[in-house]
Amino acid sequence: MSGRDYLGEFEHIVILALLRLGDRAYGVTVRQEIEARTGREASIGAIYATLDRLENKGYVKSQLGEPTPERGGRSKRFFRITTKGTLAVNRTHRALRSMIQGLGLAGSRA
Amino acid sequence: MISHASVARPPRVAAWLVDLFASDGHVESILGDLLEEFSDLASKSGVASARRWYWRQSVKTIAHLIATGFRAAPWTIVSAIIGGYLLLGIGVWIPERVIVAVLNFSRHGVVPYYSWPQMQSHLLWLNSAIMIGQFIVAMLVGCMVATATRGREMVSTVTLVLVRGPLAVVGYLGLLVRHWPLPFSVLPFLVSYFAGSIAILIGGVIVRMRRSAPLRRALGA
Repeated sequence: MSGRDYLGEFEHIVILALLRLGDRAYGVTVRQEIEARTGREASIGAIYATLDRLENKGYVKSQLGEPTPERGGRSKRFFRITTKGTLAVNRTHRALRSMIQGLGLAGSRA
Repeated sequence: MISHASVARPPRVAAWLVDLFASDGHVESILGDLLEEFSDLASKSGVASARRWYWRQSVKTIAHLIATGFRAAPWTIVSAIIGGYLLLGIGVWIPERVIVAVLNFSRHGVVPYYSWPQMQSHLLWLNSAIMIGQFIVAMLVGCMVATATRGREMVSTVTLVLVRGPLAVVGYLGLLVRHWPLPFSVLPFLVSYFAGSIAILIGGVIVRMRRSAPLRRALGA
């Protein structure tokens, strides 16, 4: 298994936001979900850069929705996690859990 | 009644800049997302606050788009920048040589006698013509670099401008050393550097706008 199979910190956060949002996941909702849960103000550019990278790795798929007037006639790009992406999240979680275990940090079991 | 927020428009310049740097595949969704959040924020916190938010988001987004664009095709961009830098190095002398050659040809190689005021005026026109020529050359180089990096026109031209900065400082220090202890004014050097940088960026913008014109027409923007 290569190191590339693990998710980076922000990739991890973005992919968890996609899992939370389900079929409502697009730039705005992903950004707001991250901000609401982590207090971190991410830019739309950072979200798209990360989603683009995840899509290139095959962890995420995207499709354009219908254009809407409140968006100036522009479409939303909806994202969803693939099976490969789900496996990568699980692998990353297992690795993190294993590293945290026994450290006495919040969320770890002694 | 129409509220202020419902008719609020995001800053045009910021939206235009995002449009320039975003890839064709993402430009529609990024601008749509920004507009959606801008409208929402304008109705909640006021137009001024929403505009500040839009500018902040645009600057951060452009920085990410430049980094992403560079990471996506580093070798293409580096090759285009090296090529562009070499072309600039060669091309910068062309206007001077052409103008001097034309002057020599028109005067049959005989330099007329100039009084001091005439000489000053002559030199001013000559320098201005050379600077305009160099501006055009830099713009053409910007166009060529942008053309060679399809889809990443602005990333390559901005990187070329950024790379020129430290190299220009080295060049200036070299001139200082060569002409030491004579004073060497930094002003013409700065004017030439900034004018060249602006010309390169204009070249990039021209190519980018020409390429994205069909997409913009399709969106009705």
